[in-house]
Amino acid sequence: MRIAVVNNCVPFLTGGAEHLAQALTTKLIEYGHQAILVRIPFRWEPPAKIVESMLACRLMCLPNVDRMIALKFPAYYVPHHDKILWLLHQFRQAYDLWGTDLQGLPDSTEGQCTRDVIRQADSRYLGEVRKIYTNSRVTSERLKKYNGLDSEVLWPPLLEAEHFSCKSYEDFVFYPSRVNSAKRQWLAVESMRYAHSPVKLILAGKDESPADRRRIETIIAEHGLQERVVWYREFISEELKAELFSRALGALYIPYDEDSYGYVSLESYFSRKPVITCSDSGGTDVVVKDGITGFTVPPEPRAIAGAIDRLYENKQAAESMGSSGCALIHELGITWDRVIEALTR
Amino acid sequence: MKIIVASTTYPFVEGGSTLFVEWLTEALKSRSHVVETLLIPFSPDYRKMLDQMLALRLLDVSEHGDRLIAVRPPSYLLRHPRKVLWFIHHHRTVYDLWGTKYQDIPPTPEGHTYRDAIIHADNIALREAEKIFSNSKVVACRLKRFNQVDARVLYPPIWAPERFRSGGSGDYMLYLSRITDHKRQLLAVEAVRHTRTPVKLVIAGAPDPEAEPYLKQIRLRVQECSLDERVTIIPRWVSDHEKIDLFAGCLAAIYMPFDEDSYGYPSLEAHHSGKAVITSTDSGGTNELIVDGENGLIPEPDPEAIARAMDQLYDDRDLARRMGAAGKERISQLGISWDTALDSLLS
Repeated sequence: MRIAVVNNCVPFLTGGAEHLAQALTTKLIEYGHQAILVRIPFRWEPPAKIVESMLACRLMCLPNVDRMIALKFPAYYVPHHDKILWLLHQFRQAYDLWGTDLQGLPDSTEGQCTRDVIRQADSRYLGEVRKIYTNSRVTSERLKKYNGLDSEVLWPPLLEAEHFSCKSYEDFVFYPSRVNSAKRQWLAVESMRYAHSPVKLILAGKDESPADRRRIETIIAEHGLQERVVWYREFISEELKAELFSRALGALYIPYDEDSYGYVSLESYFSRKPVITCSDSGGTDVVVKDGITGFTVPPEPRAIAGAIDRLYENKQAAESMGSSGCALIHELGITWDRVIEALTR
Repeated sequence: MKIIVASTTYPFVEGGSTLFVEWLTEALKSRSHVVETLLIPFSPDYRKMLDQMLALRLLDVSEHGDRLIAVRPPSYLLRHPRKVLWFIHHHRTVYDLWGTKYQDIPPTPEGHTYRDAIIHADNIALREAEKIFSNSKVVACRLKRFNQVDARVLYPPIWAPERFRSGGSGDYMLYLSRITDHKRQLLAVEAVRHTRTPVKLVIAGAPDPEAEPYLKQIRLRVQECSLDERVTIIPRWVSDHEKIDLFAGCLAAIYMPFDEDSYGYPSLEAHHSGKAVITSTDSGGTNELIVDGENGLIPEPDPEAIARAMDQLYDDRDLARRMGAAGKERISQLGISWDTALDSLLS
């Protein structure tokens, strides 16, 4: 089948969605299809540009293509007779973010009109596609709530699962992620005050603001945690990340209310390591099952410390939870086999 | 420098323009520029053209990059404060092919409106450009004649020409190109019928999606004339590795499209492999590269005349070799190099 993966882009920027789009294209080819990635430039400021971009997509053609797989607003408007959506997210500023600090669109009449145009266009044109998959339950729920459209969750797999392996269960837990207040690395550091075991915390990721950095460094300094916390303040290489996972006792992934389970969880399970998450972390509950594939604890330092100590005290349990996590991922179909099968059906 | 290379594409059909963009991107990157290549799918169906042209106008990349280099039409409709065109061809059916059998818009009042709108849009976009380069004199003349704009000829090089090598001279002529009607592989087959010598012909390249009937026609003709022993067809995409070997082993190359916009990459590849090129008087841009009797032969588009050219090179291998060697000199004489190209595009 000749397949076009259609996504937006901002020239000279590459984000998570672009990596996924590229990986999907590569995998489609690996699975024996002909595939191209179509990247449509998208500009959203001022708001009139959003509507222009939507119109542009609607006016485009996709000749000589058997199937279109669209990922994002507004690229998913490009007309095609055999269109499938794997929706990563809608233009959230017009939906759940409207009325919050993250609204982005102005409160003016123009802003409201733009919001309404987006909502109407989604309801109308997304209703025309053959099948809608989303990347998470939250995305599916929003689509149902705001546009009345049904969809099925198709879990995004790890881009390169084969990079990850298990070597040992050493005395550290690992939390690689961008560092900001929502990912709550500060809570992880705070927890180290209460861990009785000699387990260390290794953070890897760049701080998004000076405030994020100060908050963490202050906790470390005030409580003398210099020996307990190691922070690689940078985007670490894929190799180093895989190496640290392969030797870790487990992973920590405790963001606040994420849509998805996060690549961190998948990377941890492919390294046969259990994941500690929080009860308010959102989508992590898809893969983190308390006591089976890791621990789900309240977002409190003492509770998190307790979970870390339990991993240290019973490394055999840690090992078996990590393996169960890996098995669960396959059971849930968070694999390219499943994704390609669904999108090319 | 941050550079956007913009072009349109007909998905899953690779041809000269695909390579053009790919190689330009590589060349810019090799000079440490940061490159964003935007390939916008585009249908040549005239009823959809105006919509798609408007789409290009609405996509806004004007705030990104220090320069935008637009290649295939009508990617130059994208707006950018520092827009440079490396113009490779018009949408020819509304320009020089209007009124010929290639015209794909009906000559109705409605058809005329489509045609005028396309030309009008081109005229606007061409005048927005800081500079316009063309890939040949033919194309520069058309720009002058139809759009009244001046373009400087900037001959497109191939990527990593040092990969090509000469492997002596075999007994076959190589026609490497997309297989499609206007490339006239069939004319080359007809020519083989008229040769005195046992010279062979190898036709290689992917057929265009709509060219399956043409391929059938070629095959049928080969059979009818009992040329199976002398004509080999490789009707698929040819890897770089195979291509280099095919060129290295051939006696000379054939590239005789009808009225093409430029000399065509196969001609350059042949010369970089030390091989002469047989083209035709009506092939268009090839005549800017090939000088009759110097680095190739330019017979009339007539099977018997082409057959004589084939025989001449078959009989006189030394002549074929000399012409091949002259080809390399001709390339440097015309200044076909990435250094020249990039200096001009970025100055």
